[in-house]
Amino acid sequence: MRIVGFRRGMAAQGLVLLENALQFVGAFVAFSIAIVSYKGVRSTQSSSLLRLAAAFVFLGTGFLLEGIYGFGSLSILPGFEVSLTTLLISGLVLETAGYFFLAFSHVLDVMFDKRMAIMLAFFPLMAINQGSLEVILTSLSFYFIMYGVVETLFAYSRNRNPNTLLIASGLSLIAAGWWISLVAADTLLLSIVQLLMKEVGLVILFIPVLTFSFTKKSGWNGPL
Amino acid sequence: MAPYRTQTKIIADILLTARDMNMEGDGVGITTLLRKGNVSYSRMTKLIGDLVGAGLLLELNLDKTAKYKISEKGMSFLQAYLQFEDFAQSFGLRL
Repeated sequence: MRIVGFRRGMAAQGLVLLENALQFVGAFVAFSIAIVSYKGVRSTQSSSLLRLAAAFVFLGTGFLLEGIYGFGSLSILPGFEVSLTTLLISGLVLETAGYFFLAFSHVLDVMFDKRMAIMLAFFPLMAINQGSLEVILTSLSFYFIMYGVVETLFAYSRNRNPNTLLIASGLSLIAAGWWISLVAADTLLLSIVQLLMKEVGLVILFIPVLTFSFTKKSGWNGPL
Repeated sequence: MAPYRTQTKIIADILLTARDMNMEGDGVGITTLLRKGNVSYSRMTKLIGDLVGAGLLLELNLDKTAKYKISEKGMSFLQAYLQFEDFAQSFGLRL
């Protein structure tokens, strides 16, 4: 029994390690998207791309701080023990701000309409009955991702671009992973499932960056 | 309702028209640009002036009528614009 318990403990610690490593993968993906978006802002002076760049800079920094927090709490990264709570809260605030900007880009794109009103109506049900700041920020992030998923799906119904559907599915996987971590984080199996969902979701978000990098032929470096 | 077009989108539309409607290779007239660009005459003349000044459009004076042709620089901008448009579209956004 003790050996089984020990193995489970090791597996759980391995999962925590993997989850924290995933934060750095998330930061890499987010910064890559931010860089491409910023290049787009320079070339086309597009405000949509500026909001996208801002969203992913916030997300990337948030992921980075949470990764440092995770490794700091496992004593892998020394010197961060004192400021662990600050790191975690800052990371979560930045991540929530990132998801807010991602949703905000869509809000400006479609303006305030019925869909936005319906989503706002659901929000208090999720956020108000939670206690700690961490859970509130996580709930807000989940809400903003969900809004992003809905708007991206609506955008797909307009433009029929397969990449839009891909991004919607990537965001859906991340949102589902968040939801599982919100409601059932303690089970080992569900922890693995939610980790895989977030990982696959992040890889999917990276596809437009790869497509852009491989098809980029223009020598234009802006500004207009 | 037609979606709101940014200044950059209008410029890209003008350049696309100059590229795609230039069948005979001697440029396109302002009437074609107006019809496809869907902006007022006064705004179009100002935009064309800006684009010629920036080197994105070439002005050809044939038979006393001004015709416009997309330049290499214009092609480069248009290519970049279309790539970034596709990138933004992936995230469900418009440029």
